[in-house]
Amino acid sequence: MKKLSLTAAPHINSGVSTHNIMLDVVIAMIPASIAAIVLFGLKALWIILTCVVSAVAAEFIFNLCVKKKQTVGDFSATVTGLLLALNLSTNVELWQAALGSVFAIVVVKGLFGGLGKNIVNPAIAARVLMLLTFASVAGGAAIAPLFDLSFLGNAVPEIAAGATPLSFLNEGAEAAASAPSVLQLLVGAHGGTIGETCAIALVLGFVYLVCRKVIKWYIPVSFIATVFVCYLIAGGFDVTFALQHVLAGGVFLGAIFMATDYVTTPATNKGRVVFCIGAGLLTFAIRFWGSYPEGVSIAILTMNLLVPFINDWTKKKPLGGIK
Amino acid sequence: MIFKKDISSLHVPHNKNTAGCEPVKIQTPKEVILPMNMHSGGEAEPIVTVGEHVYVGQLIAREEGRFSSPVHATVSGTVAEILTLPTARGKEVKAIRIDSDGKMEADPNMKAPVFEGCDGFLQAVRESGVVGLGGAAFPTWAKLNEATNPDYKVDTVLINAAECEPYITSDHRMMLAHADLIDDGIEYMRKYMSEYLGDATYKICIEKNKPDAIKVLKEKFADKPYVVIHELNAIYPQGAKQVMLYNATGRVAIAGKRFPSFGALIINVSTLAKTAEYLNTGMPLVERIVTVDGPAVKKPGNFIAPIGTSIRTLLELTETDLEKVGKVVIGGPMNGNATVSVDSPIVKVSNCILAFDEKRATLPEPSACIRCGRCMEKCPVDINIGAVESAMKIKNDEKKEAALIDTGVRQCVDCGCCSYVCPAHRPLLATNQDAKWWLKQYERSKQSR
Repeated sequence: MKKLSLTAAPHINSGVSTHNIMLDVVIAMIPASIAAIVLFGLKALWIILTCVVSAVAAEFIFNLCVKKKQTVGDFSATVTGLLLALNLSTNVELWQAALGSVFAIVVVKGLFGGLGKNIVNPAIAARVLMLLTFASVAGGAAIAPLFDLSFLGNAVPEIAAGATPLSFLNEGAEAAASAPSVLQLLVGAHGGTIGETCAIALVLGFVYLVCRKVIKWYIPVSFIATVFVCYLIAGGFDVTFALQHVLAGGVFLGAIFMATDYVTTPATNKGRVVFCIGAGLLTFAIRFWGSYPEGVSIAILTMNLLVPFINDWTKKKPLGGIK
Repeated sequence: MIFKKDISSLHVPHNKNTAGCEPVKIQTPKEVILPMNMHSGGEAEPIVTVGEHVYVGQLIAREEGRFSSPVHATVSGTVAEILTLPTARGKEVKAIRIDSDGKMEADPNMKAPVFEGCDGFLQAVRESGVVGLGGAAFPTWAKLNEATNPDYKVDTVLINAAECEPYITSDHRMMLAHADLIDDGIEYMRKYMSEYLGDATYKICIEKNKPDAIKVLKEKFADKPYVVIHELNAIYPQGAKQVMLYNATGRVAIAGKRFPSFGALIINVSTLAKTAEYLNTGMPLVERIVTVDGPAVKKPGNFIAPIGTSIRTLLELTETDLEKVGKVVIGGPMNGNATVSVDSPIVKVSNCILAFDEKRATLPEPSACIRCGRCMEKCPVDINIGAVESAMKIKNDEKKEAALIDTGVRQCVDCGCCSYVCPAHRPLLATNQDAKWWLKQYERSKQSR
């Protein structure tokens, strides 16, 4: 008699798997990657390839060394590599990018027990490490567009000289006047890391993730809105000023792709909103009062460490209570 | 309740392919196998000997132990063998095999039971062999008996006609064909349990995806103010009793308390109809409507089959290629149990037979939890599911108990939504069930100490 399978209920599933989710995140990052190559030239492509290949290779070799089941197929290493690449500027050397990826995968993720066990987001941790060791990586790299972008306005050449728009914005109102316009910020024709500048491409990725039900729309929005409101108040209700601040720097990239990482954010949607509001406030505080122009990655990293506490505060109460 | 919301949360594909299939009475099978554990309590004890002739509806095994239920012959013929069958949990159970004479002769002495008063009524229900046909298999008399406890004041009787699981349409078809039996069942309860259920509201809770049945029932009960047709959104798991209680009355079921303490009694619609049928005619529970469907089934349908008919017989009627079947589930795909072999019989609670092909027979290997929170989002009772897995690993028993109770796992309704949505394919429902079982054992051992 033929043996029948005797697995436990339920006998069907939703068809969503870790592999699908990670692949969706990779797809959502494609518009930003294309924008990066268009705006920053072929160097961006090399950075992306280096990061992804070294992240995947690091995961593969690490699993071999510790004799774990191979997990390259779940695409989580690809996500980490790609996300790190988008967080680097063209000032980075390729070997530095590779080193960052290996650090992210091996130290931040692998040594903590692999996917699902890491406490902080591997890509952010690697970026912050690189920021401290090779200061130029997150600084404002000049754009080297594949096409002529001068139709966007006369400020482009100035920005191309180096600093990120945030360094203008943080110098006060006079300097802020020479910061790029909102339109330029949306398109991304300004200095910065390769993936953070083009807001339109990032929003495309956001829409894709929401449509694929990978993330809830209000999670990144609560992050961005918090930063926006803070600047609105700080800037005396100058909407343009607040918009420039939200669009410049890594707020969109961080809110859409890092603050929505399942592993390193709270477990419930309520907790995730708390997380994002906290990260938004921290971003504002670091940018506004700190000496460092960019605050998103440090804000998210700090909130990552607070996740156990947020989880405790926002724990769901089972229906029927505990008695 | 100030604010009420629907707590069922999972949109599963309904796959009610057989909703339009009128139940077909199958040809009398050559043999039936009747296991002695077709109910939730102790195994029934055979009272027939091999070679004895039996009629349809004749008592062949009596109750033995708590919450047991009698078993009746479902075909006429001779008792061929008293055998043991393997169960899915790896144990064995006694069973009676009857070779059919093909005549389907009913017991000539059979007549509708004569009884008086509440005790007589409950005794009659006890002899009918009817158990909770929704899946729980709890003896119906025992459930009704709970309502007579003076500590409880039952003001609502929930008649569970949700049929929220995908594929199954047996209750649906039953309601279309036998609305009068549902009516009779309600009247029996009102008449003989008037002291306890006389003033109760009878809420027939039915999912909106069965508009034809809703129409039939609304017409049937139009002039009865105490019968309410309560329409539920077609979202899984409306049929779980705790979910139904909440969605239909706004009351919250608390773990560890008997259901009537919430002022409500819940009874499956087919159970009610089968009880009424026995009280009307004296024919105990011997046959039922079974939906046969699933990815490996070519021509799904509904069949009226004697209990004890082999699954193989039913699958052959639907032109299923038995060689390609990798898993057979009795019950729905969310909550049913996989069965050992296609030669297993259908039992009293088998509302559905699902055949899965080999590809769908096994689910993907579980991988690491990525803390996406989907399980908790879909849990109808908001259990902290992620914490159950880690609490189960605690070595210290006292700490483990406290941690498990804190997760709320005792509230688990066994719906399986968590496992269904888990992208890492973790067996979350199984873990919850283990946790509940462990808690029960631990509490018992603490009491006996």
